[in-house]
Amino acid sequence: MSSNVTHAESFCRRTRREFLWEIGGGFGGAALAGMLAADGAFASDNPLAARPSPRPARAKSVIFLFMYGGPSHVDTFDYKPAMVGMDGKTVDVKTHGRGGHRNQGRIVEPRWKFRQYGECGKWVSDLFPHLGKCVDDIAFLHSMTAESPIHGSAMLMMNSGKLQSGYPALGSWVNYGLGSVNENLPGFVVMLDESGGPISGAKNWASGYMPATFAGTVFRPEGSPINDLALPQGVSRELRRDVLDSLRELNESHLALRPDQADLQSRISAYELGFRMQQHAPEAVDISDETEETLNLYGVNQPETEAFGRRCLLARRLVERGVRFVQVYSGGAHNDANWDAHGDLEANHNLHAKETDQPIAALLTDLKRRGMLDETLVVWGGEFGRQPTAEYAVGTGRDHNSYGFTMWAAGGGMKGGVSVGSTDEIGSAAADQPMHVKRLHATILHQLGLDPNGLSYLYRGLDQKLVGVEHVEPIHEVIA
Amino acid sequence: MNRLFSTSAALLAVALTAASVIAQDDADAPAVDFARDVKPLLARRCFACHGPETGEGGLRLTSRAEALAELDSGMLAIVPGDPDESELLARVSSDDEFMRMPPEGEPLTPEEIQTLRRWIAEGADWKQHWAWLPRQPQTPPAVQRDDWVANPIDAFILAKLEAAELEPASDAQRRTLIRRAYYDLTGLPPTRQQVEQFVGDDAPDAWSRLVDKLLESPHYGERWARHWLDVVRYAETNSFERDGAKPNAWKYRDYVIRSLNADKPYDQFVREQLAGDELDNVTRDSIIATGYYRIGIWDDEPADPTQSRADEQDDIVSTTSQAFLGLTVGCARCHDHKIDPIPQADYYGLVAFFADVTSYAERGDQQTNNQWSFGDPEELQRRKKLQRREARISREKTSMEEVGIRRMEAADQRRSETAERQTLLEEKLAAFLNPSELELYEETVRRLQAVHDEIAGLPPLESALALAKCEPHPEPTHVMERGNPHVPGEVVEPHFPQLFEAPAPTIAAAPAEARSAGRRRVLAEWIASPDNLLTARVIVNRVWQHHFGRGIVRSPNNFGEMGDPPTHPELLDWLAQWLVDHQWRLKPLHRLIMTSHAYRMSSAGSERGLAIDPDNDLFWRFNMRRLSAEEVRDSLLAASQTLNRDVYGPSFYPKLSEEVLATQSNPGSGWGESAPEDRARRSVYIHVKRSLLDPLLTAFDLPDVDLSCEARFVTTQPQQSMALLNGAFAIEQASRLADEILAMEAVSPAEQVAASVQLALARDATPEEVDSGVKLINTLQTKHNLSPEQALAQWCGVVLNLNEFLYLD
Repeated sequence: MSSNVTHAESFCRRTRREFLWEIGGGFGGAALAGMLAADGAFASDNPLAARPSPRPARAKSVIFLFMYGGPSHVDTFDYKPAMVGMDGKTVDVKTHGRGGHRNQGRIVEPRWKFRQYGECGKWVSDLFPHLGKCVDDIAFLHSMTAESPIHGSAMLMMNSGKLQSGYPALGSWVNYGLGSVNENLPGFVVMLDESGGPISGAKNWASGYMPATFAGTVFRPEGSPINDLALPQGVSRELRRDVLDSLRELNESHLALRPDQADLQSRISAYELGFRMQQHAPEAVDISDETEETLNLYGVNQPETEAFGRRCLLARRLVERGVRFVQVYSGGAHNDANWDAHGDLEANHNLHAKETDQPIAALLTDLKRRGMLDETLVVWGGEFGRQPTAEYAVGTGRDHNSYGFTMWAAGGGMKGGVSVGSTDEIGSAAADQPMHVKRLHATILHQLGLDPNGLSYLYRGLDQKLVGVEHVEPIHEVIA
Repeated sequence: MNRLFSTSAALLAVALTAASVIAQDDADAPAVDFARDVKPLLARRCFACHGPETGEGGLRLTSRAEALAELDSGMLAIVPGDPDESELLARVSSDDEFMRMPPEGEPLTPEEIQTLRRWIAEGADWKQHWAWLPRQPQTPPAVQRDDWVANPIDAFILAKLEAAELEPASDAQRRTLIRRAYYDLTGLPPTRQQVEQFVGDDAPDAWSRLVDKLLESPHYGERWARHWLDVVRYAETNSFERDGAKPNAWKYRDYVIRSLNADKPYDQFVREQLAGDELDNVTRDSIIATGYYRIGIWDDEPADPTQSRADEQDDIVSTTSQAFLGLTVGCARCHDHKIDPIPQADYYGLVAFFADVTSYAERGDQQTNNQWSFGDPEELQRRKKLQRREARISREKTSMEEVGIRRMEAADQRRSETAERQTLLEEKLAAFLNPSELELYEETVRRLQAVHDEIAGLPPLESALALAKCEPHPEPTHVMERGNPHVPGEVVEPHFPQLFEAPAPTIAAAPAEARSAGRRRVLAEWIASPDNLLTARVIVNRVWQHHFGRGIVRSPNNFGEMGDPPTHPELLDWLAQWLVDHQWRLKPLHRLIMTSHAYRMSSAGSERGLAIDPDNDLFWRFNMRRLSAEEVRDSLLAASQTLNRDVYGPSFYPKLSEEVLATQSNPGSGWGESAPEDRARRSVYIHVKRSLLDPLLTAFDLPDVDLSCEARFVTTQPQQSMALLNGAFAIEQASRLADEILAMEAVSPAEQVAASVQLALARDATPEEVDSGVKLINTLQTKHNLSPEQALAQWCGVVLNLNEFLYLD
């Protein structure tokens, strides 16, 4: 079944197989198909079942830790000793941010001390003391570039490879390429910050021209995680069982007169699947079976780290249960509820780093000790970075910077303790080995065993690809 | 082909025709069809190196002459009639890995090689793609079973069935038919009374009278408008960070509904949307029609304004070419189309027709370009003057504020860019301005207020979303190298794509005082011409698609060579001509289609049909279909007897759960509160906010609204069942249905069950259903301690989840 996604060279084409794909049923469909197959209801070549990766895969799942708003690279992982002592100095530097194009700016010296960690001796700022201990498992990408320094289009670019809405998200592509392995959970889960969604909301995890079943499912971290999953008030599972039995009986009589209409059969089965999901999905977010030590590790018991820690822990639990792509947001809503530090850089980054440092380190540690890090690719970053210079006449706020910023990846076949690419000495733009967002996308697909330049979906007469029509190489320097 | 997807696949596009399946098994196979069988294969496997831009080794497979030419090696790739002398065949079938073509990927399959062999043996014909050939006059073919033919459509259908020795399905029952007709034409279910009346109507014209009645219903326009709105990617907000509302977008939606209800000729419908502001007779309606240009996505804060502008133009060119011409020209934005004969210059030739279409708006002025004001010109003039004054004073005021703000702390400077600006100014501005600045500022605020008041005192003004401002003398249009708008190449004039072989357009230079360039009118007239290769074919195919579940061409937006070939090309051409001959009116076309025998077939399967043609390529039966997202929601309201059938007007906001609103960065922003009676309106009137689509609708495959959607997916997934069992909206409808039944004083559970089936399914309940319902109601009361009312509501939920409720035979 993977033949349609493995051709490296292909043109606009449409095969019967692909079309079956296009009408696929997402997590429900995949599960359903598997279930029916188990019932002997249909032949084995099921287009929606979990598929082996077409190429050797290093990762089975991805956890994308999205630092919405854009963390400052020079204050976190991109060490700029040359900036020390430059605070307040006006320099000639080309910047493009929310405030437009500028040729000059007042340096805001990084506000945190850097120290070296790990065998690799990586310089990490004091914003991330916990994460510092994990650097030997991390591959840093210091020369990322994006096409837009404006949140709306930059978010879309990071999430879907396009500046415009209407195109499938990275998580949709992964599920399109690999199918789902757990019938009771969606294959693409999004967990939002407690302060709200990111700007453009659901556009960030939409499936675009693919069926809506490939879209991300928003998972709430407690209670009934999925919209419309919970039984209504006053309805017990036993009661629902009786209702479903009655419904099935009538639907089966209806089907008996239309035995060749497979959709009717799948719809009957969809109710049973929904019933099972009602049981299994809340189980996935019920962390009462985690040890005290684990909860402490993630910081679930401390107020600052409780929310993000819980999301990181859930990300691990979801990956454990076979979810392919989990996106976890740090920061939501507007202004300083996310990493968008236009006003007071220190207050903003102290807050968000505090919320995330320990949980992220815990996630890496926990995945590693459970032997899961090898096949779980963890990606960290925002939609862009921040400028070395001040946005306003006074204060420490930094404007957006898509000319150069840092992201990192760990696990899933990435090298540890390496840093690739660089920005100039004040971090204003990528200098050595600039890497477009698409190269990160290509790397993620590649690690999952998908060919980034082959994985395509026919739409509008064109083989659409996540990475676009031009060939894009994965970042081989960080692949183990 | 697995069973799970057979129906959906039949409803959507699957390229293989039954004829071609049969051909492979048949020694007396019909000749290989170059366009259908060979060219896609060459394109897919050979063009990367031997295509229009490459031609490696001297082989360029783009025309017959080039393909037959001598190679660099001196050999001949293709020798017509002599496969064994054809190097191409030798290379694709070679066992030697170094010799074999293509060098990358899997070798060609034996079937593919056989196709090429036969094609060469048969003379290597290089036939033009069907859609690029003019419509041919078609005569309905002769058939054996004359008695089955109700109108010429049936002759075209039956001829193919007879050739395949397939029996058409028997006639559908009347109960099935009326439900089919109601949903197809109005998207709403019939009531029990309407069903019984039709079932009992023995007059020979009962069916055609029913069809006529439904075509006269105002709900016809609501249902069919939705199909068009999918194609033109209708939405009422801009997407991107702010996803701001487009004022008056709903008037365009109403324009579509009204046009359909009025049976406006389709050619006029085309002209109005593309050039309603440039017609000889510009009307209020034709202005609103140009809202067509304003319903797409728009980035109010583009990182790269040049790129963003080019993307906006691409959106219009892509949507227009797909919607009206069934052409996907997007590939040619960056390079010559590799499959269809669309050179890059043709793409930009189309862009040039739209050169006077201004951007949707500017960030600082989100009205001028897209809001057309109706009214007395003098009044408008006066208002404009005041608005200009208002804008000027407002700018003065802002610049004075900025003086103070720049003296504030960074955190406050930041606040000044947020919704807290006003609060900040009230709190602190005075302290950061010197006395004379402050005095001037306060004076300016007073002046601004005065002009505000004056504008507020003007008589109310009606506006519409439209092409309110054009660029009458646009800059020249360039081909953009590799599609990069920063690398302009040669200048192109507006021209029709060469594949149409149409004479070059004559476009008079716009007079100095013109408000638009006059180019769109020329394009519109050409598209709306009866002689256009594609326009009539494309629209009849869409009409057919929404009656039969799939188009005669299964890729309704793509009639090109990568689209699906028509299963009934002669019928398509015949229908296209018929439409043109009937003044491009769609209602007669609906009538013709629905009074065909083919439309009235049962959807029941037959052993032979399922074996030979499981995808129903030949229309041996009617395609069962699931209700669309809107039909599901509207049917729930109809079943609960609470549907508000008011037609037209501003959009309403359905109630969304807090969890759904929480996905927004500013929960609830851009979402309003509508009165309960408005929330009970039909789904076509739901406010379409791009970043906040109603999850009930998306669960049932409402498409993404940013790009043209030619045919909706039909998925089956648990989110649908969860929405209908646990979603607040569905639960509300179930309990309303229960209330309705209780109000009828149906006392016994058996009577209640019977009433629920009558109301929701418009028929009498079967004894089995009554038993089942009574049993459930009793169990719920005895075992689960529900009250009789609660138990009935649960049963009503069962009825609303029946497959019969959601599927049409």
